[in-house]
Amino acid sequence: MKEIRNFSIIAHIDHGKSTLADRMIQLCGEISDREFKNQLLDSMDIERERGITIKSQTICLPYKARNGKVYSLNLVDTPGHVDFSYEVSRALSSCEGALLLIDAAQGIEAQTLANLYLAMENDLDIIPVINKIDLPSAEPERVALQIEDDLGMDPETIQLCSAKTGQGVEDILEAIVNFLPAPVGDPNGELQALIFDANYDSFRGTIISCRIINGKIRAGDTIIFMSNNAEYRVEEVGLFKFRREAQKELSAGQVGYILAGVKTVSDTRPGDTITLKDQPCAEALPGFKEVQQVVFSSIYPITTDDYAGLATALEKLQLNDAALIFQKDSSAALGFGFRCGFLGLLHLEVIQERLEREFDIPLILTVPSVKYNFFLNDGTELIVDNPAYFPDPIKIQRVEEPYIKATILIPERYMGAIMTLCMERRGENTKYHYPMPGRIEFSCELPLAEVIYDFYDKLKSITQGYGSFDYELYDYRKSDLVKLDILVNGELVDALSQLVHRKNARSRGLHACEQLKKEIPRQMFKIAIQAAIGGTIVGRTTISALRKDVTAKCYGGDISRKRKLLEKQKAGKKRMKTVGNVEIPQKAFLSVLKSEQ
Amino acid sequence: MQINTVGPGCLAGQLPNLNRCGTVTHDEGDRNCYNTIKRIACYEISLDKLMSCLYIHIPFCLQKCAYCSFVSFGGREELFGRYVATLCREAEQTAARAAHTPLSTLFFGGGTPSLLPAASISKIIDCCHDLLGFTSGIEISLEANPGTIDYAKLAELRRAGVNRLSIGVQSFDDHELHRLGRAHNGEQALTTVRHARKAGFDNLSLDLMSGLPGQSADAWRRNLEQALALNPEHLSCYQLTIEEDTPFGRLQNQGLLELPHEDAIVAMDEITHTLCPAAGLERYEISNFARPGQECRHNLNYWHNRPYLALGAGAVSYDTKRRQRRLSDPQRYCELMESGDSIVIDEENLGTEASFRETIIMGLRLIQGVSINELQHRFHLNPGSYYGETLDRLISRNLLIIEQDRLRLTPHGLTFANRVMAELV
Repeated sequence: MKEIRNFSIIAHIDHGKSTLADRMIQLCGEISDREFKNQLLDSMDIERERGITIKSQTICLPYKARNGKVYSLNLVDTPGHVDFSYEVSRALSSCEGALLLIDAAQGIEAQTLANLYLAMENDLDIIPVINKIDLPSAEPERVALQIEDDLGMDPETIQLCSAKTGQGVEDILEAIVNFLPAPVGDPNGELQALIFDANYDSFRGTIISCRIINGKIRAGDTIIFMSNNAEYRVEEVGLFKFRREAQKELSAGQVGYILAGVKTVSDTRPGDTITLKDQPCAEALPGFKEVQQVVFSSIYPITTDDYAGLATALEKLQLNDAALIFQKDSSAALGFGFRCGFLGLLHLEVIQERLEREFDIPLILTVPSVKYNFFLNDGTELIVDNPAYFPDPIKIQRVEEPYIKATILIPERYMGAIMTLCMERRGENTKYHYPMPGRIEFSCELPLAEVIYDFYDKLKSITQGYGSFDYELYDYRKSDLVKLDILVNGELVDALSQLVHRKNARSRGLHACEQLKKEIPRQMFKIAIQAAIGGTIVGRTTISALRKDVTAKCYGGDISRKRKLLEKQKAGKKRMKTVGNVEIPQKAFLSVLKSEQ
Repeated sequence: MQINTVGPGCLAGQLPNLNRCGTVTHDEGDRNCYNTIKRIACYEISLDKLMSCLYIHIPFCLQKCAYCSFVSFGGREELFGRYVATLCREAEQTAARAAHTPLSTLFFGGGTPSLLPAASISKIIDCCHDLLGFTSGIEISLEANPGTIDYAKLAELRRAGVNRLSIGVQSFDDHELHRLGRAHNGEQALTTVRHARKAGFDNLSLDLMSGLPGQSADAWRRNLEQALALNPEHLSCYQLTIEEDTPFGRLQNQGLLELPHEDAIVAMDEITHTLCPAAGLERYEISNFARPGQECRHNLNYWHNRPYLALGAGAVSYDTKRRQRRLSDPQRYCELMESGDSIVIDEENLGTEASFRETIIMGLRLIQGVSINELQHRFHLNPGSYYGETLDRLISRNLLIIEQDRLRLTPHGLTFANRVMAELV
């Protein structure tokens, strides 16, 4: 156990976590050059396309240190985006230490701090690493000062590297061995294994990722899940090398997987404790902090036949993404679907894409909403996260909406623009201070509803990428809400309804109409789009009728190509939902609150 | 179904509704005949018999036009002789390998076939005749661009057996021609038509393009009126299509191409659909107009989705099972043919259902649509039961109509042909 190190790489988005992980994997010789590809641990297409990490991934690396001993390093790569801090905190729970990676040119960013706090909450030992020292704009000395002064960390422990070129990476491995503690735990005690992730494999059932806290587990053992007493016989245990690698046993301190033929998806719950049936432990591990979903949206299959498939898909996805919650829902326009809770808009987009890619189900997502508290005249209290359940306005005594406390880190010169952005978004109680020269830490209380859509994008564009942002839920405050409805050719499309602040209702309505006009392709007839509050129309646009759609030429040499174009047109149509006789494309539903690009 | 047999070489049998068979005389057949010495016995052709159609691609142009995405290359005159010889070599290979009956149609497309010396065309025709055989009424079409061909060459081509000339006029307006990157002016187009008549071409087709950058509906009307004044037997009116990887495509991506507004485009179409019939040219395909009986038989064969042979770089052939595309580069084409290697770079094999759907898509381009009986006969599938609800919906929305044996687009459906086809493809 002394030769085990469990550690995470944590950082602000784009500071080079996945690249550093790649280098470490190569350095430990876990993979041949032929098998190597960039972002090795990001196994999902969506991660590779967007160049971000969404899921934490674990890999066990054998490392022969300069002291001659061979260590087993369990590396957990974590996501950087604010939406996925829950994923980070779960990953950290299986570690004793963390590498805090900081870009040598960018310095400390909002997520650097947020992730550092997470690591500290988990009592992890931290090694600060300054990455990208090969960049011409790199200022490692300045960043080192920030680490010392602003984070209060020991300058002696700072490591310098370029994950891109590989410079300094071996020293980091040494530092891991020398500075991070080995796990503690009793290999001879009763089994306590913490489930921190899971994945579904149609052949083997659930692949349970766990950290063995105490005791040992091996194939043939009978285990129980402590939250529900479900009982399984272990088929295989092993480590996550580049591929899964079976082992004779897993014992205290190790991070690995368990296969026990678990086909009932709901039996496996991240945060739960696994123990042995014959020799159970006294009590379960504390598990994880309850995750708070902040954005809610309904998911509908475009074809109603896909409903059952969608239900199964959501269950399997939930196994791999414990932050997703869902329950049944229905809509007049869209039929049967699920109301889902997400950690943020990126999380929502990721879930949508994963459902479509991994399960091949084309979907419609309704306009996202936050969770409101309604207090009615008769004294009842109502929590509403779905515009469909907006109570009759005369019955409403008052309503409260969630506020966040946003922390924004920006270069000084963007202060004015950011202040304006926050004011536009109904920001209150702004404060700022200078944590380091030239940088401003700006904090502000904002209604959550105002930030879930495009606040981050706006911030990025205003600050040309130099601004960073983190937030936490703060409190609920009194608000004045109305329900904004959208009518397409006179027909109310409930999936496009949204709850908005009265002050913004008209402009939001107009905006929604304009966005829909952009997203809904012209059809063979004219389409009227109206925004309404109660019975009053507050905005209107018209999509003129398409007058012609004909391919001029088609001869022998061209038949295949022209046919393929038609097939493409047909496939595009499949991604549209017909409401009345109007075909509304999938992305129109999310577009209504997105700002102009 | 009733098998429609008609006069020599006449393919009007494929257009039973039009009932024009009687208008084709043996005289006309004779006149259209390739060559009295090499003439082979006239024989009757039925719907069930495979009609042999041959396409020959000539991938050479004076210069590349700004909108063109076809396989063609400017210059390369040094390659002409070798290319012609290679075409003959491929003809030999085709004669030996592919199932065929004597050719009913032969089409020289491009590129600009009229760039080749008349003697070369003549050599290719002779070669095809000797190797593949001709039916007596064979239609031999050749695409010609104004400015590439004079009276003497036209007369020689006519003597060589070319009996249908398709002239790439595009526009009579010099300014429009210049913008398109065409290598000729309006005057040259008029001259070419005059010379073609004089050389004995009594089956002339003109190509015109509408929806050009900066073109008004009136400007289109003037072009069309000019074309109709020349009394062509056939007219193709294509709306300009912007293709990726052309100069126009790049301009459009940069937002620098100003095309007429959709209202103007619709007005142009209305002008076309009024003036052409008034001048005796009936619309028989989405973009094609002809005097009854003088529809392009070679192209009809495509729209019926029947097999065709092909020779040359970039050319595509189809034998009801496989559709094969030859590589585009003419030099490479020659080299591979000479070394006996395969020139096919793309092959498609469609199953019965996909073929059935494709046949419907292609057939709907024809104003008369597709014969349900014929589909049944050929694929053992019926559009009504195959498409079910989708077809009913398209019919109820007045986009499609079934009348007697024919499924066709309504006038409304013709303006939204892609929408309909995208549901049936």
